[in-house]
Amino acid sequence: MSRHPTPPGQSLTALFLLHVGSMDARLIGLSVERHWKQSVRLASDLESARVVLVDCDRPGVDSAFEQLLAHPRTGVVCYAFHPRDHATRFPNRVILGKPLNLEALPGILASAAAEGARTIAVPPLRRPPAPATPPAVAAEAAAEPPPTLGHGVQTDDERDLCGIMEDLPPTPGQPLPDKLYFNPDDYLIGHLHRAVEQAASTGRSQLIAGLPRLIGVSSRPVPVCVTEFRANQLRPLSMTQLPQTAARIVGASSLAHITIHETTFATEDCLWNVAAWAARGRLPEGVDPYRPVRLRAWPNFTQVFMSPHALRIAALWVRTWASPVDIAARLGIPQRYVFSVYASARFAGLLERDAPATVTPPASRPAPPAATPPEPTAPPQRPSILSRILRKLLNAV
Amino acid sequence: MRSERARHNKIIFSGTVGAGKSTAIAALSDIPPVSTEAVATDDTARVKKTTTVAMDYGVLNLPGGEKVMLYGTPGQERFSFMWDILSEGGIGLVLLINNANPDPLADLQGYLQAFRDFISGTAVAIGVTHMDRAEKPGLDAYRKKLAELGHQPPPAIFRVDARSRDDVAMLVKALLYTLNPGLIDA
Ligand SMILES: Nc1nc2c(ncn2[C@@H]2O[C@H](COP(=O)(O)OP(=O)(O)O)[C@@H](O)[C@H]2O)c(=O)[nH]1
Ligand SMILES: [Mg+2]
Repeated sequence: MSRHPTPPGQSLTALFLLHVGSMDARLIGLSVERHWKQSVRLASDLESARVVLVDCDRPGVDSAFEQLLAHPRTGVVCYAFHPRDHATRFPNRVILGKPLNLEALPGILASAAAEGARTIAVPPLRRPPAPATPPAVAAEAAAEPPPTLGHGVQTDDERDLCGIMEDLPPTPGQPLPDKLYFNPDDYLIGHLHRAVEQAASTGRSQLIAGLPRLIGVSSRPVPVCVTEFRANQLRPLSMTQLPQTAARIVGASSLAHITIHETTFATEDCLWNVAAWAARGRLPEGVDPYRPVRLRAWPNFTQVFMSPHALRIAALWVRTWASPVDIAARLGIPQRYVFSVYASARFAGLLERDAPATVTPPASRPAPPAATPPEPTAPPQRPSILSRILRKLLNAV
Repeated sequence: MRSERARHNKIIFSGTVGAGKSTAIAALSDIPPVSTEAVATDDTARVKKTTTVAMDYGVLNLPGGEKVMLYGTPGQERFSFMWDILSEGGIGLVLLINNANPDPLADLQGYLQAFRDFISGTAVAIGVTHMDRAEKPGLDAYRKKLAELGHQPPPAIFRVDARSRDDVAMLVKALLYTLNPGLIDA
């Protein structure tokens, strides 16, 4: 398992978190402690650091860079929500996209440190070394900016959280791109889902330990998820690839351990959100986007994250066996919005995957009868009044 | 047999006493809602000092002068004779169920039964209220009940606080999309 780009034995990279949010600092600290012991150590100040980390999206980044003027031989790794925008502002910096790929980061830090030591000048802008991770993740880190890791500032671009992936062809046949998929085990959702299953099967509460704050799940009397993370912390955490060994699930007699400003969610709602944030418009690994499925129920939309068109997707998908690709075609919307709902519904337990044989046409093109969404009993003048009411509600809320 | 009255655009709000009908209509209405409250004489007085024995009435004003009436049904069974008249020609039903009642799943069953004909020709969206005070039964228990009662496709059912305009609007949006998932919202 050589997931670490830095070979053991090489000297530790002394990293100072020069300009980093507290949540990022905790996640990175955790990674150092548990995962990067052989490659990175945290320096307590700029003087003793060989490389520093800078979040370009945080206020005060200019003064952070000013401090660096006195340390030309210290390597610098920046990261930002929109690396390209910052590249024009800070032309000679290495700027990684968020979320930080924690698997690849030690290697990038090490080479930035080496670079800094070699040259007096600021390191030239270049692409970071190819991360030692699957292509799906690498492609995402370069092309898909959305999330922030660590501070709860929501920018416009983050709002839809469904990425920028283009549609698949309407019929199967072509090989599916890697970037269509995410591996839930790389994200909080994998751990959370396992904890929920264990709580259900054992009847005992379960704690997810090893993260900066605790998350607990309990199946009785109603399934709940209790956490010390605030909602604006849970989202960036859910979007971040966690070191594989970061979190562990332990049985607990109760959730009384969780006491600091705890928030309680219905488990289903929590799974829905954490999955949506990990998925960002992608499907869980192994899902056939051309295979018909159905929603067994509407998600609890007054509480959960709603990606664009989620209400329409749900309205259609509770009544029709259809593949994600078909649903998108029938509603005339980008597939990534349907993939987002699929990923959430699957982890929230709202997806039925075994279509009765009679209703399973081997997924092909959108079924003709439903090509225009069904309008059960509404008389002809209805659509206009319905959409006028809808517009009113959307505008006024 | 639809009369002229049936041409009115209206959305019906129903549910048990105290579920939040008057509150929901007030949250959504563009006019101060008219509520024909009367002193309750039966045991609902224990639940509320006054209750809606006639109906609540609110309005959504659409651009161009068109109106959508929001009608709340009387909460008490003895006024259920009014429900058919009230709902005639309505766009759909918003059903509010008070989770803090002794047997909310039975309430659900009763109201769906009472509005069966109306729902089969239109649609229903269900809000479970007072879940902040009573966490059980959870939404999944309601969904199971709906399946047992043969409601397929399953209607929208959300946790709702009737005091929240966003929550109430979400129910109405779900109702509209249930009637037509192809509605264009832009
Ligand atoms: N705690 C809590 N109170 C609610 C909720 N929904 C409505 N209420 C309150 O419940 C009371 C009864 O509501 P009302 O609209 O008069 O019920 P109606 O009889 O159905 O018209 C009001 O005081 C509302 O503010 C909820 O979800 N939680
Ligand atoms: Mg009332």
